[in-house]
Amino acid sequence: MALPWLESLPFASTASAATADATAGGAATGAAVAYPQRFAVTFMGCGVNPNHWWARGAGAEMELGRSLEPLTALKGKINVINGLFNKSATKQGIHPAQTGNLLTGVPFAKGAIIHSGISMDQVIANHVGQDTVQPSMVLACEQPMTGYHESNFSNAYSSHISWQNADSPVPNEMYPSLAFDSLFENRGSLRNLSVLDRVKDRASALSRKISATDKVKLDEYLGSVRDVEKSIERMRADKDKAEERARGKSRPLIAMKRPDNGLPEDLREHARLMCDLIALGFQTDKTRVASLILARDLSSLYYPFLDVRDAHHSASHNDTSDGYEKIARFHLSQMAYLAEKLDAMPEGDGTVLDHSCVMFMSNMFSGTRHDNSKVPIITAGGLSGTLRTGRVLDFTGKPDEERRLCSLYLGLMDRMGVQLDHFGDADTRLTEL
Amino acid sequence: MPDFTCVVRRVFLAAMFPFGGLTALAAKGPTDADLARSFEKTVRPFIESYCFSCHGGDKPEAELDLTRFDTLPRVVAGFDRWDLALERLEAAEMPPDKAKKHPTDAQRAAVVSWLQDLRKHEIEKSAGDPGVVLARRLSNAEYNYTIRDLTGVDLQPTKEFPQDPSNTAGFDNSGESLSMSPALLKKYLGAARAVADTMYLKPQGFAFAPYPMLVETDRDKFCVQQIIDFYHRQDIDYADYFQAAWRFKYRGALGVPRATFADIAAAGKVSARYLATVWTMLEKTKEEVGPLVKLQTLWRALPEPAADSDDVRKGCERMRDYVVQFRKKVEPRFLNIAAGGVAPGRQPMLIWKNVQYATHRRTFDRGQLQVEGEPPPVPLDVAHELGAAGEFGPGRTRPVINAPGDPDLTVPAGQRARYEEAFAKFCSVFPDMFYRQERGRNYFDTGRDRGRYLSAGFHNVMGYFRDDQPLYELILDEKQQKELDAMWIEMDFVASTTARMYLQFGSNREALGTAPVAGAEAKEDEPDDKSRTSEPMIRRLEAGFLAMAKGGDPVGVQAIRDYFDWVNATLRRTEKARLDAEPSHLKALQDFAARAYRHPLSRAERNDLLGYYHALREREGMDHESAIRECIVSVLMSPDLCYRIDLAAAGSRTRPLSDIDLASRLSYFLWSSLPDAELLAHAAAGDLHETGVIAAQARRMLKDPRAQALAVEFGGNWLDFRRFEGIGTVDRARFPEFTDDLRAAMFEEPVRFLQDVIQTNRSVLDCLYANDTFVNPVLAKHYGMSVSGAKPGEWTHIMDADRYARGGLLPMAVFLTKNAPGLRTSPVKRGNWVVKNILGERIPPPPPVVPELPKDEAKTDLPLREMLARHRADASCAACHARFDSMGLVFEGFGPVGERRENDLAGRAIDAHAQFPGGREGVGLDGLRQYIRDARQKDFVDNLCRKILVYALGRSPIVSDETLVQEMRGKLAANGYRFDTLVESIVTSPQFLNKRGRDDLTQR
Repeated sequence: MALPWLESLPFASTASAATADATAGGAATGAAVAYPQRFAVTFMGCGVNPNHWWARGAGAEMELGRSLEPLTALKGKINVINGLFNKSATKQGIHPAQTGNLLTGVPFAKGAIIHSGISMDQVIANHVGQDTVQPSMVLACEQPMTGYHESNFSNAYSSHISWQNADSPVPNEMYPSLAFDSLFENRGSLRNLSVLDRVKDRASALSRKISATDKVKLDEYLGSVRDVEKSIERMRADKDKAEERARGKSRPLIAMKRPDNGLPEDLREHARLMCDLIALGFQTDKTRVASLILARDLSSLYYPFLDVRDAHHSASHNDTSDGYEKIARFHLSQMAYLAEKLDAMPEGDGTVLDHSCVMFMSNMFSGTRHDNSKVPIITAGGLSGTLRTGRVLDFTGKPDEERRLCSLYLGLMDRMGVQLDHFGDADTRLTEL
Repeated sequence: MPDFTCVVRRVFLAAMFPFGGLTALAAKGPTDADLARSFEKTVRPFIESYCFSCHGGDKPEAELDLTRFDTLPRVVAGFDRWDLALERLEAAEMPPDKAKKHPTDAQRAAVVSWLQDLRKHEIEKSAGDPGVVLARRLSNAEYNYTIRDLTGVDLQPTKEFPQDPSNTAGFDNSGESLSMSPALLKKYLGAARAVADTMYLKPQGFAFAPYPMLVETDRDKFCVQQIIDFYHRQDIDYADYFQAAWRFKYRGALGVPRATFADIAAAGKVSARYLATVWTMLEKTKEEVGPLVKLQTLWRALPEPAADSDDVRKGCERMRDYVVQFRKKVEPRFLNIAAGGVAPGRQPMLIWKNVQYATHRRTFDRGQLQVEGEPPPVPLDVAHELGAAGEFGPGRTRPVINAPGDPDLTVPAGQRARYEEAFAKFCSVFPDMFYRQERGRNYFDTGRDRGRYLSAGFHNVMGYFRDDQPLYELILDEKQQKELDAMWIEMDFVASTTARMYLQFGSNREALGTAPVAGAEAKEDEPDDKSRTSEPMIRRLEAGFLAMAKGGDPVGVQAIRDYFDWVNATLRRTEKARLDAEPSHLKALQDFAARAYRHPLSRAERNDLLGYYHALREREGMDHESAIRECIVSVLMSPDLCYRIDLAAAGSRTRPLSDIDLASRLSYFLWSSLPDAELLAHAAAGDLHETGVIAAQARRMLKDPRAQALAVEFGGNWLDFRRFEGIGTVDRARFPEFTDDLRAAMFEEPVRFLQDVIQTNRSVLDCLYANDTFVNPVLAKHYGMSVSGAKPGEWTHIMDADRYARGGLLPMAVFLTKNAPGLRTSPVKRGNWVVKNILGERIPPPPPVVPELPKDEAKTDLPLREMLARHRADASCAACHARFDSMGLVFEGFGPVGERRENDLAGRAIDAHAQFPGGREGVGLDGLRQYIRDARQKDFVDNLCRKILVYALGRSPIVSDETLVQEMRGKLAANGYRFDTLVESIVTSPQFLNKRGRDDLTQR
């Protein structure tokens, strides 16, 4: 169990203090990665408006298409990546088969069996999530669908992008209040404490009725129970203490009250709460990995506040319309909101965003044509200086093997200390990254 | 491990007590005090003088430290080591020649005599002593089997646990080796949660699925698969029924004159109920027109019983084909409907159509009759119907089109009514389909959209629809009907399928078109799911739809009403069922705990468990399902489940184990798992400890499939192949045939063989001498055997395996491969395995520095046998290698992965000749078998007795076991070496039936 990272939150802005604190935090192998790296992915289904999804130039000079305007303030910290594709999601069928394996790169099983692969966010979570309260947050603003699409692929593929293994998606949390609880109330460890407490009582009762030699064996069990209990309590106490201390130094931990029970009625509020939760989780190092489905594939969300009459999926069938442009811009603005929020949190010489990578993606480029021969990708944040930003990367027209989405993932995972020989359908990294 | 073990001492674990020596016990021997006095006066000074210089200090020779034996009780506790000392002293092999000091013959004789007295004394004193059987956690394997039997699903929660250590006898089921640590406890906690996550609540009680039942996708998948599996188990083929009817007709000629429908149906694996219906149609129904006439003609044309029954099957298949193609011609078809503004693709309309199909499968399309004099049937005008509605309009429904003049459909003028009656009668018995398992997006072409099991045919929206009326009405018996009904009800109960179908419909404005109830804001009507599924909200949406449908097709309007009624009724029923079910879940929780704890719950335990549930619900605000799940976690974490603890009586006297504890001891011995209901019933009745009862239970349990655990856990550790899956020595580049499949098959061969010995109660000597073995296709190929017709993974019992130089345990590939280092064979390792695992010699660790043999046989100048022969030329090596090299050399005809071979890897011809200890000679497997039969069979039997006894008791052997082993050997010989004799002797022994008192601190 690593020390809770908050304890070493270095708000003093000198480099030496940052390094010293980082060493105390024990999180790092070098100063460059002294702060934990985080990864978040936000997703909207059914593609973007292709006419307004573009960027030119670099850094502060970057020109942005209309849909990308929400990123204006972040120009130097983003990469606009076009032309990548997920080969395993092509030529199978539209919608579900274009979606659920976006982060796995493994082809789907058709029909009644649900099968793909573990998703890259969960690979990262398995690797870096063990030291945090929650290995990953998997959130959604829209109910999942089940049953089958007409293409004979399960609708589960339309509803989930995070997969804990080849056969099962990670359940999406839709309730902001419950997502908050699992970060802060830490119900998992509380429940374990109560179970351990029970079995401890039972073992003590038993041990009065057995022989001395048997007692030795049972004491081994009791001792183990106590040890695990203590380690859970210690972890909880440390976290509380660290939070308390941060608060005591009057450093602004984001003040966030527990969201109300139930589902927010307005999508705008719902999306914002989810982003706030991710930001909070990242800032307090309760989690380092998050995925958020803003609108799933085949989405039936409505956007009366954008003055769009059609539901999301219907609107995507006319993807060059102004209405659909507004929908795409709305979802990207959620990602921009999250990134800006992280960028407003100082951490060492930079900000939390500087140590993170927030990615936005969709399952298609054009919803009208169900075209996923390339998918829109935007990243924000430099992963502790390992990922150059302020760039527009376009892979359109390159040979297929040089524009694999999984090659991007391999590169991102490398930078987070997860070295894999291959992932999904790729065994090479994107050279330009 | 180096190949040459230069110091090999033969340890007669077996000879701890020489054969036939038992009678001497009757004589009155010395007392404890006498022995203690002699120890102080004679023995201790002797070993101090002559032994300690080598067998003491930091690195005692042969890992034998004699200095720690400073009192008589310590000598007794470590008597297995002293037994070895005794042997060495008697043979005057110790102290060795090179020693500085040597005792006189008289001194030596005094110590030998004392040791012999002590052994006799201890055996006499402790006969039947159960010894110390430590409480212990379940081994990983036992935990897996226990969870399997507790949940009904083989979840293998310990798959990723660290491997359990084994005790000195090689078994991982004793308290001596099984320990607990915080890290392991955390894994238990994770495993308990993983198991609890697979739990799902049923209308009565709860059950477990093979995967977590937390997300809707998984819940759906489980419920759907359960129904599909049920359907597939029915496996309905008309030809099977016709053939069964034929067998019934000729039951006399077929030699079963008294066979009933039920008998014939059972033999043919068809439904007795439907067989009777078909029989009535074929034999008892008079018909002059229509399809039955033709079918009966085909029926009567079936040949009488004769040698060649192939013609009967072919005839039955012709009958089937006739029925099927006739049914296709008159299959009823239903067009899509719409009502006003409610289009045909909307849920109420599609459900209406599904209902039409589901309820008309036993009818026919009257429009297909071609009546002379009436105008020919006009297929519905597809073009005319188009345009009525959008994408899914009626135009997509294609009616059946038959050729004019089809004799099956031709009806003489004026006879329509007569034919319709005949058609109706026929079609009622022979439906167009028994059940519909998959449905595309409102298509009729069954060739499309396969794999969407039970789908209602909606577009992009989940929905399931039941369509199995003919199966239900014609095939299933009452019990099966109930089972199927329960599964459909369970679907709503477990996965809320109707509620979710409805919610997707209700929230999907695309489905609503102009959204009659939509307000200005998107989610105004969707405050939360609960109120949307309430009756008032359902009725509100219904009113909206009825308004849209106003003035439309009255059938469509009614379909809307029916749809909302059906949804509302289903949701209300499920709601009620959920509330009603809660008490049954609590009851099930208590039953679950009682089975997990392997004893009836006391009142306190019951209250404690329920108290925990209520605290979770009331104090922590947890919902019912989560609270049950949490209780299951706590049951699984309880020491009552994870530990095997036999409660001891107070005092130091040995007492009988309680019948409840005995039930667990027996089931963990034979099944590595918890006791079943029958065993627990005997425990509750208090008669399990009676010799007759426990022996009968043991025999029953050995025949049960769960006894496979005995083959794997006992056999696997006894013969040291339990970890074969992890073998890393095989060079797969040189032996590409060694695939994962072959490796798995190699592992399974001895398991299958031992299982057969166990379950069919064969002679244990078959392990050595049998000519049979078990193979699957991949192993058969490796062995050069032919198993034509066997499916991949299917196992065949080969009775004449000796034709391929196989049979019994000895030449199994798993042992030959495991005991070869990769690119050559190892006669040393193979021979060592034979003497150690089969014959029970204990081989001490090899000295630290031994010459290595070359790694690759292909790169050697001399055959291995000659290199070994040179090694044995060294006298100090010879004494030991002579004991086992020969027993490995006989296997030289088998290569590094157990394949038969004529030449070694360097191309030299194989020589499998060997000279066994004692001078006998022999060649190959047969030579070894003959040698064992002549000289070593008793060693094998003795070893097996000891090993299985240690396994059964879960502790290391102690002196008191000697008499029992002796008894086991005697009974085995008297009963043809049947396996159950072995087990019966153990389970009726005092060791097995008793437990030392709580305060007995004797170290034995």
